[in-house]
Amino acid sequence: MAEPLVVFDNVVKRFGTFEAVKRMNFEIREGEFLAFMGPSGCGKTTTLRMLAGLEQPTEGDIRLAGKSLLDVKPHERDTPMVWQSLALFPFLNARENVEFGLKMRGMDKPARRRKALDWLERLGIGEFAERDVNSLSGGQRQRVALARALVTEPKILLLDEPLSALDAHLVIRMQGVLTKLQRELGITFVYVTHSQSEAFAMADRVVIMSKGEIAQIGSARDIYRTPASRFVAEFVGRNNIFAGTVNAAGNVETPAGTFTLDGKARPGDKVSFVVAADVVSLSVTKPAAPNVFTAQLISEEFVGSMVTLFFEAPGDTEVKVQVQERSLEGIPREPGQTLFLSFDPSHAHILKG
Amino acid sequence: MKDDKLLRWVLALYTALVFLFVFAPIAASLVFSFNSDRFPTIPLGSFTTDWYVKAFSNPEVWDAALRSLIVSSVTAVIATAIGFSAAYSDYRYDFVGKKAFLVLALLPPTIPLIILALAMLGWLSMFNASGLTLSIIIAHTVLCAPFAMAVIRLRLNQMDPNLEPAAWNLGASEWVTMKSVVIPFTLPSIIASLCLTAAVSFDEFAVAWFVSGLNKTVPVVILEILTGNIDPQVNAIGTAVFLVSITLVVIAQVLVLRSAKKPEAA
Amino acid sequence: MTTKTTKPDTYAIAWRLPLIVWQGLFFVGPLLFMVAMSFFLVKNYRMEVALQFSNWQRMLSKDFFWDAYFFTLWLALLATIITSLVAFPASYFLAFKASERLRRWAIFFLIIPFFTSYLVRIFAWQVILAQSGVINAGLSYLGLGPWQMLNTQFGTMVGYLVLCLPLAVILQTFSLANIDKRLVEAAHNLGCGRLRTVFTVVVPLAKTGLIVAAVFCFILSFGDFVSPYYLGGSKPPTLSIMIVDTSKSGQQWPRAAVVAIMMIVTLLVVAFTAIGFAYRKRGK
Repeated sequence: MAEPLVVFDNVVKRFGTFEAVKRMNFEIREGEFLAFMGPSGCGKTTTLRMLAGLEQPTEGDIRLAGKSLLDVKPHERDTPMVWQSLALFPFLNARENVEFGLKMRGMDKPARRRKALDWLERLGIGEFAERDVNSLSGGQRQRVALARALVTEPKILLLDEPLSALDAHLVIRMQGVLTKLQRELGITFVYVTHSQSEAFAMADRVVIMSKGEIAQIGSARDIYRTPASRFVAEFVGRNNIFAGTVNAAGNVETPAGTFTLDGKARPGDKVSFVVAADVVSLSVTKPAAPNVFTAQLISEEFVGSMVTLFFEAPGDTEVKVQVQERSLEGIPREPGQTLFLSFDPSHAHILKG
Repeated sequence: MKDDKLLRWVLALYTALVFLFVFAPIAASLVFSFNSDRFPTIPLGSFTTDWYVKAFSNPEVWDAALRSLIVSSVTAVIATAIGFSAAYSDYRYDFVGKKAFLVLALLPPTIPLIILALAMLGWLSMFNASGLTLSIIIAHTVLCAPFAMAVIRLRLNQMDPNLEPAAWNLGASEWVTMKSVVIPFTLPSIIASLCLTAAVSFDEFAVAWFVSGLNKTVPVVILEILTGNIDPQVNAIGTAVFLVSITLVVIAQVLVLRSAKKPEAA
Repeated sequence: MTTKTTKPDTYAIAWRLPLIVWQGLFFVGPLLFMVAMSFFLVKNYRMEVALQFSNWQRMLSKDFFWDAYFFTLWLALLATIITSLVAFPASYFLAFKASERLRRWAIFFLIIPFFTSYLVRIFAWQVILAQSGVINAGLSYLGLGPWQMLNTQFGTMVGYLVLCLPLAVILQTFSLANIDKRLVEAAHNLGCGRLRTVFTVVVPLAKTGLIVAAVFCFILSFGDFVSPYYLGGSKPPTLSIMIVDTSKSGQQWPRAAVVAIMMIVTLLVVAFTAIGFAYRKRGK
């Protein structure tokens, strides 16, 4: 495993009495694509701003490549950022915006001009180099902002919800541009977003934050399959959560049914567990499988070839099932239809606490 | 509906009359300045440029014009610098005593000029600093800085709060960011402020009259001619003064409006 | 998540200092000094530092001071009322009946006189209002006049209008334009007559702005010495003329300072009372 590039060591950040970040400890590995995700006000942007030096930690230390950043001014750090508002300089054209960081490093005029043009070309907007940034489209401005941040060839790039202002189709395109760039350059991307699809689509590891604390760090798969807490399970919207009590036989009795799970539990324990929406099976007749229960179809939702079916199981339990549309052939899908649902015991993830 | 139309027209006519009242003296002064009568009335006398010739052959007028130019340009620069720093402090920082700071920044125009003039005269005399061209500049800067602050603060309102951090983030220190981001961004308002404060200083007479001593500016010369008798020279000088200040004010306004309309990086 | 920091550093202080130093030295300093000066003595045309109440006694015990005081107060109040009334229909037109574009241009033009020579404009009016001036010449064609307009209170009022009207229209227009137009329409729909709507809906809604505009008129006309002198003929003198006369002739700066302080106190009282009234909750 690579040396950690960034270390957050017991970092606390308070604004007055409000604790925006509560004692954070984590590492960012060299060359990884790390995404911070969480609801607004969870401290993800503050974390990023501390890394860029725009906020000072109230307590603790942040180290970049082994060196403490505490006394390093923002302009002395090599942590370029792509801003949510883009923050392009409106009085400079596209090329001059990209040149800004090079100029600050004292690079001479012809060299920085060449370099800026190279980067604009690389991002596919070479022809707009001399255009006023206000006359560019949202996607083009996005690319200028990226070029401006990357032109100094940093080890790490910070991105603060860079795609939030773009149209949906552009978001998908820019996600492709970003992942490709990150792979080609091999540098570390730290990406802050409130969008699950952006984080899961691009990041090697995702940090879920809640109320100034890290709720979970892991790959998209880890977070999806094995959420560390009820908060994470709920925040990652495609999970079904069941709660019940362990009976004498070691099975969990819930309002929706009695289920067999892997793992040990003592009778009488209260247990919550998560079953991902895409591991629940559907059938019209009762299958010969463990963990079968019935539920009533309420509605459905299409995204591409995937369909999410919303069910209601006994005890007001909401159950989501995500499947490929073509696998539903032969299954009646009128609202109000009662179907048999089932899942494998190995797919149930028991929540701690 | 018919009533509505009529009301609209009556009000429009009334508003036109108000504008006529406001601009009549400016127009009258222009007309009278080319009119041969010493006491202009209707019908007008014949066309003449005598009053201009008379006014501009008066060395006192030239002396005052030069002084006014120096006073207003130096005042404009200092007042704009002070106004800029105050506007920037207000934009960027919260600090203890900020309310008092803002009162200090915006209060001077609400104090009657004649009172300010007296206070300034007493204060400067104590330091033997009254009666100088510099005294006028000092006093005018006090008066003009609030206007400069207001104009520049309005422009700063349109600046993305992340623009400065973006420059730091790319390796610019705070001072370099000031030079290469904040000043270029606010440049239209800085020029507008220079024009506006120059116009205020160029037209101010009460304070200048009190503290100038023998170093008269153009408005002080006008005031002294007025105290003597009706003299159409004033119209000639006045028209020239109007031209200067209207030009400055219009430039300032166009700059402010233009930069306000331009959509900035959202 | 704010970029504003409270931690002072050299950079932050550097931007705060110019205003504090300059306005402290040349605005607060002179005003405080003026207060001190009102206790000084003048001997042989030279001011001497002292702590004597003689200037205050001398000024405040004289009838001519109080005559001038109440005359000035009366003129300024009259000017405030007249300016507000004259400005209102024009502001109403600009706020409700004019297009956005026309309104912008109107404001643009109204700002111009604010920054051009007041003196020259007053001189122009001196010529226009004179006994043989433009207006009287025009009236004589109609077989009227001549009327004495110069060197009367009427002349002074014209001057105050010249001074205050543009600013009053600008401030009133802004406050009227901010009113929710649906409320005005709602009043119409409820059968409220046009004039009644103006007084029962529009004026109360725009109260704060209208009062602020009036306060500015008061401040401007209360402190002006040019109109009452050159158009009003200085008879009787106002407080501002008294300051000029007292300080320009005889070097009696301390007595002028007494007048100035009385003016400032009056302005503060009037301004705070009016602003307090403007922001008072309705129905109290």
